Amino acid sequence: MNYPVIEFPWLGNGMIIAIIAIIHVIVSHGVAIGMTVLMVSLEYQGLKTNNEKLINVAKTISKWVLIITTTVGAMTGVGIWLVTSVIQPDSIGSLLRIFFWAWFAEWIVFITEVVLLIIYYYTWDTWKGAKRKIHFRIGVTLSIFGWLTAMIITGILSAKLTPGKWTETLSFWNAFLNPTYIPSLAFRTFIAILLAVSLISLPIRLLIKDKEVRRDVFKVFSFWNALTVPGVLITGIWYLLSIPDEAKDLIIWSTGMPENIFNMLHVLGLALFLIFALWMAIKPERVPVILTIAIFFTSIAFIGEFEGVRESVRKPYIIYDYLYANGVEAAKVEKFNEEGYLANSAASPIKEVTAENQLEAGRELYKGQCIACHTVEGWRTKRNFGDRLEGWDEAALSGYISTLHETRPFMPPFVGTDDERDALAAYLIKVSNEGLDADLTQGSKEKDDEKEEQ
Amino acid sequence: MVLQTMTNLIPDDITLAIPGNVGFFEVLIVVSFILHILFVNITIGSSVLAVGKEIQGMSKKDRKIDRIAQQLADHTSIMKSIAVVLGIAPLLLISVIYTQYFYSSTNLIGKAWLSLIALLITAFLILYLYKFTWEKMRGGSKALHVLIGATGSLILLFVPLIFIVNVVSMLYPTMWAGSEGFFHSLTYYPQIWQRYFHFILASFATSGIYLYFYNRRAEKKIERLLKEGETVEDEAEKREVHKMSKRLGIQTMFWTTALQLVAGTALLMSFEKEVMMLYMGEDALLTGLLLGSILLTLVLLFFLYKLGKTDSKGNFNAVIITFVIILVFMGWMRHELRESYLHDYIEANPRTTEKVLPVVETEDDEEGLEVELEEDAK
Repeated sequence: MNYPVIEFPWLGNGMIIAIIAIIHVIVSHGVAIGMTVLMVSLEYQGLKTNNEKLINVAKTISKWVLIITTTVGAMTGVGIWLVTSVIQPDSIGSLLRIFFWAWFAEWIVFITEVVLLIIYYYTWDTWKGAKRKIHFRIGVTLSIFGWLTAMIITGILSAKLTPGKWTETLSFWNAFLNPTYIPSLAFRTFIAILLAVSLISLPIRLLIKDKEVRRDVFKVFSFWNALTVPGVLITGIWYLLSIPDEAKDLIIWSTGMPENIFNMLHVLGLALFLIFALWMAIKPERVPVILTIAIFFTSIAFIGEFEGVRESVRKPYIIYDYLYANGVEAAKVEKFNEEGYLANSAASPIKEVTAENQLEAGRELYKGQCIACHTVEGWRTKRNFGDRLEGWDEAALSGYISTLHETRPFMPPFVGTDDERDALAAYLIKVSNEGLDADLTQGSKEKDDEKEEQ
Repeated sequence: MVLQTMTNLIPDDITLAIPGNVGFFEVLIVVSFILHILFVNITIGSSVLAVGKEIQGMSKKDRKIDRIAQQLADHTSIMKSIAVVLGIAPLLLISVIYTQYFYSSTNLIGKAWLSLIALLITAFLILYLYKFTWEKMRGGSKALHVLIGATGSLILLFVPLIFIVNVVSMLYPTMWAGSEGFFHSLTYYPQIWQRYFHFILASFATSGIYLYFYNRRAEKKIERLLKEGETVEDEAEKREVHKMSKRLGIQTMFWTTALQLVAGTALLMSFEKEVMMLYMGEDALLTGLLLGSILLTLVLLFFLYKLGKTDSKGNFNAVIITFVIILVFMGWMRHELRESYLHDYIEANPRTTEKVLPVVETEDDEEGLEVELEEDAK
């Protein structure tokens, strides 16, 4: 525990990252990348067929792309840094050092992207006649820069699961061009456009009253569906085949669903996308509202699930083979076991476990090693100690913690001395029975009294 | 015991090395921060000025003043988008070269730090609402429109405090143990409010010069169009609005810059004596930077006065050049200040600058291990 720890007792610390990250993925993929491609292709089709109404649709979409990406998109993007520096400082601190230059390049790409988007939006009415072609070209360049942001960040995201040779060489390029980089970039590219079609079909179906315009818009979308539905499937399988077996085994588990329900839902989801794509291609003038609603929410559910699973299957690591999910460096496990975890935790006011401070020391260990995923009284019952530890006692729990990573391979090992392990067990039993505001000083005294009596 | 806890609060640096030359990264952080803060200044100053002008336009029933306000609001929403993306590099750099201090100070105000996401999304959405409803909300709902703008501006005026607390707190590791969250930190750490006022004044000054710059260009554009034989809609009104905006820009910059002589002095006085003395003769570079920037501020005031008298290209360029030099001096001094404060701590808690390759088990070892495990299993 190198830095002070912030606790979100009900939501759980991991959930805070997940909320920001999933919103960001929806906006960055679905709006910044995908929707930009759609709006520019509507502009292209409008210019080609002299269809001013189609161009107007593109213009309206661009206003919303501007508003959404420069508010929610930008702030949840930076927000991932803000939130990880609070909840997973060791992890983000390490990633920044590995991928500094990728992020620095990303900075320049982002600035260009935003400037292009501003130019694109504010010149719809001022660039007329021959200048309309330039406007369209700005749009194409904008789409390319949107995709470049994904091209860079995907190297970082995929390396967390499959750092490849990096763990031996610590070389930037080994990490960036890791084994799952290309498949996951291809997968994300198709996802972005398909997600955009899924998100925007509903408002278009509801808000555009002119049936002809709607038909023309959906015809353009159909072109993208024909490309992205098979694209997502093929690259998805490719991506799946390229991840490590340990991670593959955790996929269904990490969704929290039984296998048959998992399979059923995914077959149904896939069928829904096929129906949607076919319907839009065959009868673009009559796409049912209910279908666009279903696709809207299914696509969000899928993307949320994908990111959740991707983050989850790395367990017990957060950066494979280097850093455990709770911020403990794999290479320092022995050091912690010998010298003690607390003694090596700058942010812990307690450095050594004594009879008087046992529960408070346990609290520091809980903050350092459990809080990244667990809570005491949080809403996710599977991760909350209040529910999980019913019926346990300190000795049994302490014994269990020592072999935890073997019985449950997705758990990081406990690091620290035996006294520290006992302290953690004592604290967890105490708070799981009495709640987070249990008096930790009193607890130790009572125990001392008990000991004396014995 | 207390003393021990205080000094031990600085963690060891991350095991992975800083991926480049620290000196070079310091140059990068100064340059990228200056770019970022320039746009932040314009965003905050313009948004507050817009609301102020809209209220003035309402009370004086002057459409032209309302136009100035509208123009300011238009630009605010564009500037803020650029300000945010420009902020990525300085945030990246401060996280990489000052990890031990910056992450600690961040986590001491963790929840306030996270609230930035919600606060800024809300403020930015409000800025768009303010701008895009300007025409629709004329007439009866004008007061509500002002309220929308004012809400956005108030959030923008609050947000810098979170950043300032963070970057001030990282300079005082010995005070971390006594820190009790964001609101407590506002009065707990020295320098906070002095920095805040120094920054807010700069925001108005920067917005002033930007307003002048923009309206000067717009005037030139009208003249160019007229020369080409085209007509300009509402020409007389537009010309008057540009003229008024230019005057507003100069006046705002002049007076807020003059006040900086007071605010800057107050900030200097808030430093620890040893650090203050570095700026007052003990360190040649810092003293030079400080004296230079005071002198340049006076020069800037002089050129602003001249520009107010005659709008010539020469006067305008003189203002811009002086302003940019002051900006660079300020950004540089700000960095040197952090270095002065952290110098001893960095010496005692060195950064990881050398790459240390991990010890890797060879293939044979792994096979051996597997055999052992299999045997264990039997």
